[in-house]
Amino acid sequence: MAHLPDGILIAPLLITGGGVALGLLTYSIKHLTDEQLPQTAVLSAAFFVVSLINIPLGPSSVHLLLNGLIGVILGWAAVPALFIALLLQLVFFGHGGVTTLGINLLNMALPALICAGLFRLFIPRRPPLFWLGAVIGALGIIMTSAFVAGELILSGQAFLPTAQLLLITALPLAVIEAVVTGAALRFIHQIEPQLLPRTVLHQV
Amino acid sequence: MFQASRYCALLGCMAVIYATPSEAHQLKVFATAIGQEIDGRAYFANGAAASGAHIIISDQAGKQLTQLQPDAAGQFHYHAPAAMDLRIIADSGDGHRAEWLITAAELSAPADTSSPMVFTAPTALPTPPVMANQLDPMLIAAIEEAVARRINPLRVELQHSIERLRLNDILAGIGYIVGVTGYFAWWRRRRDTSIK
Repeated sequence: MAHLPDGILIAPLLITGGGVALGLLTYSIKHLTDEQLPQTAVLSAAFFVVSLINIPLGPSSVHLLLNGLIGVILGWAAVPALFIALLLQLVFFGHGGVTTLGINLLNMALPALICAGLFRLFIPRRPPLFWLGAVIGALGIIMTSAFVAGELILSGQAFLPTAQLLLITALPLAVIEAVVTGAALRFIHQIEPQLLPRTVLHQV
Repeated sequence: MFQASRYCALLGCMAVIYATPSEAHQLKVFATAIGQEIDGRAYFANGAAASGAHIIISDQAGKQLTQLQPDAAGQFHYHAPAAMDLRIIADSGDGHRAEWLITAAELSAPADTSSPMVFTAPTALPTPPVMANQLDPMLIAAIEEAVARRINPLRVELQHSIERLRLNDILAGIGYIVGVTGYFAWWRRRRDTSIK
């Protein structure tokens, strides 16, 4: 779902997506600190592996994205983490496409960045970490699916199957992702709180 | 750093546990030809039939010849009009698309129009012998069909085994990520020291 292959989207979308993705990537790599490097690599590897594991669901099967969790932990560094993983999935397994690499990155990285912003916005109110994580995990999937659906509709795919995709696959996946993200955040906070962003440490 | 390495180890263990040959959920399409009859199947890489996908058959120039709907098992059938390169495209309409090429060589020359399963001799040979030897072209066509029928199941199996994700690919990917990170760290450090 999230790895759009070549030959589906219209050219203006691909060019705009590629350009915006390149800009985001340049900006985020410039702001990547040395301390963040190992975490970025670990989460990049986690994304690389987790999106190869499929959960059969209805007529198709889905895989986790973890983009909410990656956004929360890495912030801007989520962009290069997702980029490297997507690039390797393309090279090794042919997931996604060469022309769609930029837009696929945006589809996953923008929700990750929005999730990161939301997390930092709500954490001063001291919400239960599990539930905040759950909402963020679900939002990551829902936003990515909405982006994909929007791009497909703009590219002239029939509206109905695209809407069906959203309902059938994204919602159950959002529930799974919510549980995983919530549990992961709480687990990290209990075991290795240093992995969470510094601002969070002082407040939770 | 110690915490990060423990986290790495945890994720590494998870990766190894999960990375038993699993499969991606991409749409796939695979087709084989016997004579002029093309049989194919559209499926998701986990093996489930992609019965909801559209199958578009077009020639090499991209001109659409027909559009088919696979059955509940994801299978479809097409009678090729001539021995030509055919592109078989499966599109599930939700962002998945797959393509398979049937070459002209796979589609044997139109020796007769009857079903390839029942080999009936027509009253007159439609084509003169093209080969220098004295073999009947009908016989050659029959042999080609018989061989194709024997080989096609093997090709299906081969295709499935190629598509299966392998543990070493996944580990290679993780290795690349570590390598890229190391390279990046080195490049940064070099730049930092050159400024000083």
